[in-house]
Amino acid sequence: MDNFIKIDNFSRLTPYTTLFWQGTVVTVMLSLCTVAIGFVLALILSGMRLSHFYPLAFLALDKDGHKMEEGWRATLGKANPISFIATAYVEILRSTPVLVQVAIIYYGVFGSLIELPSFTFLGFIKFERFFPGVVALGMNSGAYLCEIMRSGIQSIDGGQTEAARSLGMSQLQNMRYIILPQAIKNILPAIANEFVVIIKESAITYTIGVQDIMSAVNAVRGATFIIIEPLLVATAIYFCLCFPTSKLIAYFERRMSRGDRR
Amino acid sequence: METGDKLIEVIDLEKHYNSGTIKALDGVTVTINKGDVMVVIGPSGSGKSTFLRSLNLLEEPTGGAIIFDNVDITKKKYRDENGKWVKVNMDLHRQKMGMVFQHFNLFPHKTIMENMTLSPIKVKKVPEEEAKKKALELLDRVGLADRAEAYPIQLSGGQKQRIAIVRALMMEPDVMLFDEPTSALDPEMVGEVLDVMRELAKDGMTMVVVTHEMGFAREVGNRILFMSDGKLLEEGSPEEIFETPKHPRLKEFLSKVL
Repeated sequence: MDNFIKIDNFSRLTPYTTLFWQGTVVTVMLSLCTVAIGFVLALILSGMRLSHFYPLAFLALDKDGHKMEEGWRATLGKANPISFIATAYVEILRSTPVLVQVAIIYYGVFGSLIELPSFTFLGFIKFERFFPGVVALGMNSGAYLCEIMRSGIQSIDGGQTEAARSLGMSQLQNMRYIILPQAIKNILPAIANEFVVIIKESAITYTIGVQDIMSAVNAVRGATFIIIEPLLVATAIYFCLCFPTSKLIAYFERRMSRGDRR
Repeated sequence: METGDKLIEVIDLEKHYNSGTIKALDGVTVTINKGDVMVVIGPSGSGKSTFLRSLNLLEEPTGGAIIFDNVDITKKKYRDENGKWVKVNMDLHRQKMGMVFQHFNLFPHKTIMENMTLSPIKVKKVPEEEAKKKALELLDRVGLADRAEAYPIQLSGGQKQRIAIVRALMMEPDVMLFDEPTSALDPEMVGEVLDVMRELAKDGMTMVVVTHEMGFAREVGNRILFMSDGKLLEEGSPEEIFETPKHPRLKEFLSKVL
């Protein structure tokens, strides 16, 4: 273990600059697409989890139309299949490793079930590898974002709903005018943090051959047998992506909390 | 201002939890007439708040009936005169019952003006200009016209509660329900809220008030209900309740609070 880092090894990396540059573009694209998919998915999922869909509610009504409080009919009446599906999805996605999910999506779903067209876009991004990566990461972050949104909605004091409903607003109007505007403000920082997490987590897609920053490191290693120096370059790039993003988030967070002390 | 016209009929109302082992309401029967100022008193946990919240179904009763506008609103649906099933539209009934909460529950992300006009505009489809004009009139009545563009966080507790009262009045309710409106206030702010309520009673508004303010109950109420353990133990005029209480539990309660 004489010299851990050799300065002149960095100069040997110069021929691979484009590889790192392309990797950075892929990572940013991957993160943006993942957030978009995850956000839409999370909206749908949290809507499902908080839905009031009780197809068997009629079972829980007694003969003069009162709602029963206990018994098997009351239990069935409270069953909400839509919420159950969403909850099951979230719990499964949160309780399994991303690495496994990415592999299953790439080798399982897009490897055998669905055939993807093979082409490159932006000149160097291989669609048939990029797309499964985005889908897998999007499905994963959708589960996490769903939990953020749900907790944001549930963090609003129950008195707000009571006040809105007692003024004659429907549950939908209550959500739209009272609960969501307050909840979204509360969860924006958490959503933005999730974005930083996604940038870092996207590194895992190099295992399915997405040409992100990590895969550039691997390519350099394979060609030159130097490992620490390209890893340090990758570290620097990830830091340059994540640190300004989280600083930006902190700035907006401060600005919004200033509004609270009007 | 008693009229004797029935407004809300509560029949044998029950609210049970845990298979009936806990009875928050245990067979309450009472009729609320137009113009009544009905004050509900009783120890903590006696079911007063549950009773009030049941009236506009923030709590769902497990038995009994609340007849309002000739409809039993505790049921999800009922048969009309042609024998057809009709769904009970709770939102419609709630519009006619204003509710004032212990913790005000103003919408913190809206200005006072928006707090007051949101529901009339969105629910009753009142034109914005008209709603604003009415809001200003009401704000003027409670002496807060200059705070229309303020946010709830800028107001004191007493001011917030006065806003909560006029916000409920914006919907032109048939009855106002007050759930311990002064319990979360500093002692010196209690008076300003009670003054607004006193005014309201004088104008003939039907009110149901859950409160610990015995002085207010005595002075403004025309009927007093005494509840304990989910049961309605005694009902009468303020004189009957405070001068000649009959039930031993009421005597005990009054000896502690007066």
